[in-house]
Amino acid sequence: MIIIDEDLCKGCHLCLFMCYKNVYAISSEINKKGVQLPFVKFEERCTKCGTCEIACPDQAIVVDLPENWWMKDDNDINFNPNFTKGKK
Amino acid sequence: MAEKNSKYLSYMREERLPHIFCPGCSNGSVMSAFLEAMEKAEMDFDNIAMVSGIGCSSRIPGYIKCDSLHTTHGRALTFATGLKIANKGLDVVVFSGDGDAASIGGNHLIHAARRNLDLTVICINNNIYGMTGGQVSPTSPKGIVATTAPYGNYDTPFNLAEVVAAAGASYSARWTITEMENLVLSIKAALKTPGFSFVEVVSLCPTYFGRKNKLRTPTAMAAVMRANTVFKSAADRMSEKELKDKIVVGEFANKHRDELSDVLEKFSVENSGDKTVVNSAYETEF
Repeated sequence: MIIIDEDLCKGCHLCLFMCYKNVYAISSEINKKGVQLPFVKFEERCTKCGTCEIACPDQAIVVDLPENWWMKDDNDINFNPNFTKGKK
Repeated sequence: MAEKNSKYLSYMREERLPHIFCPGCSNGSVMSAFLEAMEKAEMDFDNIAMVSGIGCSSRIPGYIKCDSLHTTHGRALTFATGLKIANKGLDVVVFSGDGDAASIGGNHLIHAARRNLDLTVICINNNIYGMTGGQVSPTSPKGIVATTAPYGNYDTPFNLAEVVAAAGASYSARWTITEMENLVLSIKAALKTPGFSFVEVVSLCPTYFGRKNKLRTPTAMAAVMRANTVFKSAADRMSEKELKDKIVVGEFANKHRDELSDVLEKFSVENSGDKTVVNSAYETEF
């Protein structure tokens, strides 16, 4: 599960460069800050190495294992685990 | 559903985010790498004190929830020396840029390495003076175009990691921002090493370095950086001509030497029989 925070991302696209498995892609739309956000296109390729999480200069990426993600805080049981915030 | 935040945000002052750095600036990556290395080394976060001088990279301690000193230009290491000598238990980490550590504070860097005080210095070397508008710095590579070098820089750059290793530091390493795993492990080793440990991070400055040198996007800069990187073990077998315009990465020093605060303690026990030599007017007993 990879989440990209829209408020923190500045659109440097270093995550696309640093990812060894080419998980990310750039969205064609521009958000209200004028940033073309990256989104997770090929999540099945992700090995959860966490390099993009460290390499992101704006601390906008969270890479988490599924159990950590929904077992810890089960406020909402109806959420879609495939939902990514940066995806258009 | 509550928003799941990055684990690094728990160490940072969230009300000040997003931070002031340009898009693609590596300072944020180095901050994350330091926090990751700190977690891996199992350091006590409350016991860390950060010291920084002036520059873009010296804004990093302002975003981290720990005790910090934001000091005068180039004098971060002198303030850190005083802090470490006064309170030996603290883990003092110095964040500095190349202008801070190499040019105005160059002698402080060499002499701190010579004394081998137990500090961790993370030098974010972006090859240019980023904050003041892109002037040539002592670590600018030969041939780059900058604001004060419109026909190209003709000076030979400083090789910071080798300078510090030659000055006698316990640990000295250089990594680029594209070797993230090595950088994290290197900062972890630097935090655990007793004695002066120095990690030089060759970083990206797309706004002032990249724009003037036909590398407009951070990705282009990072791709050129990765293509020009040579590991130290491979560089030992290469000729001078092959190593032109290459960034040699690796560990340049990793040895054990006596550390300054231990030496001072030993000295005072030998001379006065006490751990600290107190010579104060307020002290009644001598």
